[in-house]
Amino acid sequence: MDLIESLFRGLNESAGINLTILYDPFDRARFWAGFLMTVYLAATSVVASVMLGVLGAAAQKSPVAPLRWLTDGYVAFFRNTPPLVQMYFFFFGLGSITPTVPDDLGFPTPLIGNVAWAIVALALFAGAFNVEIFRSGIEAVPQGTAEAATALGLSRLQSYRLVVLPLAFRICLPALNNNLVNLVKTTTLAYAIGVPEMLYVSNQIWSDALNVPEMMTTLLILYIGLVTLLVWAMHRWERAMRLPGFGER
Amino acid sequence: MTRAPDGKAAGFALLLVVAGSAWAQAAAPAADGALTALIRWAPLIGQGFVLNVLISVIAMAVGTLLGLFLGLGQVAPSRWVARPAVAATQFFRNAPWLVLLFYCIFILPFRITLFGTTVDVPNWLRATAGLTLPVMANVSEIVRGAVQSVPSGQWEGAASLALSRRKTLWLVILPQCLKRMLPPWMNLYAILLMSTPLASIVGVEEALTMTRNALGAERRSELLIPFYGALLVAFFCACWPIALATRRLEAYAARERTG
Amino acid sequence: MTSRTTRRWAIAGALAACLGLAAPLPAAAQQAGDTLSRIMREGVLKVGVRADYRPWGFRNPAGEFVGMEIEMAKDVAATLGVRPEFVPVVAANRMQFLAQGQIDLMIATMSDTAERRRVVGIVHPNYYSSGFNVLLPKQVTTTDWNALRGRQLCAIQGAWYNRPATERYGVEILAFTGIAEVETALRQRRCVGWLYDDNLIAVMLASGQWSDFHMPLPSQSDTPWGLAVRLDDLDKPWGRFMSGMVAHWHRSGKLLAWEKEAGIAESAFLRRMHEALKDHIQ
Repeated sequence: MDLIESLFRGLNESAGINLTILYDPFDRARFWAGFLMTVYLAATSVVASVMLGVLGAAAQKSPVAPLRWLTDGYVAFFRNTPPLVQMYFFFFGLGSITPTVPDDLGFPTPLIGNVAWAIVALALFAGAFNVEIFRSGIEAVPQGTAEAATALGLSRLQSYRLVVLPLAFRICLPALNNNLVNLVKTTTLAYAIGVPEMLYVSNQIWSDALNVPEMMTTLLILYIGLVTLLVWAMHRWERAMRLPGFGER
Repeated sequence: MTRAPDGKAAGFALLLVVAGSAWAQAAAPAADGALTALIRWAPLIGQGFVLNVLISVIAMAVGTLLGLFLGLGQVAPSRWVARPAVAATQFFRNAPWLVLLFYCIFILPFRITLFGTTVDVPNWLRATAGLTLPVMANVSEIVRGAVQSVPSGQWEGAASLALSRRKTLWLVILPQCLKRMLPPWMNLYAILLMSTPLASIVGVEEALTMTRNALGAERRSELLIPFYGALLVAFFCACWPIALATRRLEAYAARERTG
Repeated sequence: MTSRTTRRWAIAGALAACLGLAAPLPAAAQQAGDTLSRIMREGVLKVGVRADYRPWGFRNPAGEFVGMEIEMAKDVAATLGVRPEFVPVVAANRMQFLAQGQIDLMIATMSDTAERRRVVGIVHPNYYSSGFNVLLPKQVTTTDWNALRGRQLCAIQGAWYNRPATERYGVEILAFTGIAEVETALRQRRCVGWLYDDNLIAVMLASGQWSDFHMPLPSQSDTPWGLAVRLDDLDKPWGRFMSGMVAHWHRSGKLLAWEKEAGIAESAFLRRMHEALKDHIQ
């Protein structure tokens, strides 16, 4: 560790490349925490948005009309408004009317913190796209397949669970893949509401150490790395779930 | 395959925001109502919104042109062209828009000297450049997907007519792709328009910046919901018609394919 | 621009070029020559100011820039007989804007620190001074900074005191890009207090809008503010001219007058500077 520290301290003095995150313990600690926060945000919002997508796609098929309208409204609204403004609206707007709990000084403090709001906003935003993705996946499964399943004596629910959904899921994996990549990139917006993720800590670091070019490059490399990791994992999964007779190759 | 979305959905979404704003308005004890404040600041915020649209139009135009060539590069027969084109496309598709934006704002020059005349490059134009890069990469993917979706018989047919590769592309393949590329291209534009508020983080004075400035000058927390809500509605009104038109086109194309 | 910063930008530029961004280097190097005479020739003074830092630099509903620092910039332009053009900057980009030449002068509530002097040319004498303190609810009566250990404080992103407050007193910082956001977060009790400029806290308390709050802690790290020119302009006519402007403002008491006009309580620093520089012949 000392070797790395002195190496990069030297790099700063000789070449002017100032990577404080590699030699300054304070900056290293906060950058690492920021990286972990980005990973946490990405992981939780990916899971939550996929669940939302499944629920929403089911609700769109529901016989209860108000439920369908609600889902349609949700999808239309979140797909057609800027995620950054949504983030502001949620945290500052809705955050002002959510329940509070007293802290140890007796002040009523909001129950939902900024990290939770960021996850909610990210999940709702990506979830709206997932609803559409899952819906089109279900619609792409030929009607005949479901009918054939019913003819084999499966109930409507069974044919859905055992035949239609597994097929639909495979059909929409590429689109889902795309949207989740987008979601990971969108976690940077949590910056605006003070969530200490990677961009936020980098901004704080380059304000203190005035090393914008170095930090920017580090950021770019790390985000590409994270996204590549996700794409790789999704591709593996896609391949593992591939059915014979579907798709090319 | 696509169910035409009913106007109810839009109406519902609007209702949500209006109800929220009305609630905030009713809860506000201030002498000056939220609506009055909103009207007072509307011209300035509207001015910012014009910049949002301008940025998106320029980024889309330039990004489409660059993306077209990058996309054709991706399907080029030469490995030396295709590989770098694929790499560039993947790179700019996978980098967060906000980080690319920061990059362009800090790295592009603020003034250019061309043939002895000095031209200033304003901040918003550099932000536009930052947004052009991901647009370019996405258009590149759209072009690649569309070109590859044209049946190979078309290529063979053109070859049998002794058309060169370039002529085949421009005269036979691309015209057929156009219809296929239009819906995802429009979708991309909507995404771009919704990404322009990112420029506020790098100091461009677009609608979100103006809204924040207005809120900063008013210093009243009960204005937050109506102001941000109004901004959401404004963007919704711009993006929803595009989404509708995209769906119509998709449905039309799907009917044409099957029917 | 120093060779040091030039080199760093060159490296970033090279990297960007590798990534496929056509990145000509910042054009500041081409601007050698005398900035003062260029400003006179072009008839425009480009000043980087804050658009969100009431009462030093902010916008009124008409969209015009107003505030104490705006008055200073206008006075510079009037002295030169040129038109001022205001470019809004924030803490995170103000030095880049200056170094890249987008602005020729920066009056943007910037504290004068050793790191910053390596990047931009900070003009002396300093025109203002402030330390950091915490705006706390009246129920919190502690006078010891250590009592805030582990507590969440709201702050502005990019403020120089975020780091020392964390390092020295172990507070947790919840930072936002703008003041409106911080105020809201504070009112929503997302943080115990607001880590901020002590002068600004005094302004807020005097306004009467913050009657449930006070400033019980001692101010920390009183640091002078500096307006800045590009580093290579510092010892050229432009930098020297600005030095003279600031000295004149202190001597004539203009800064004290602008401060009062902006509704800020008189700061000890301005009084001291005025006393030291004022005319001995009455």
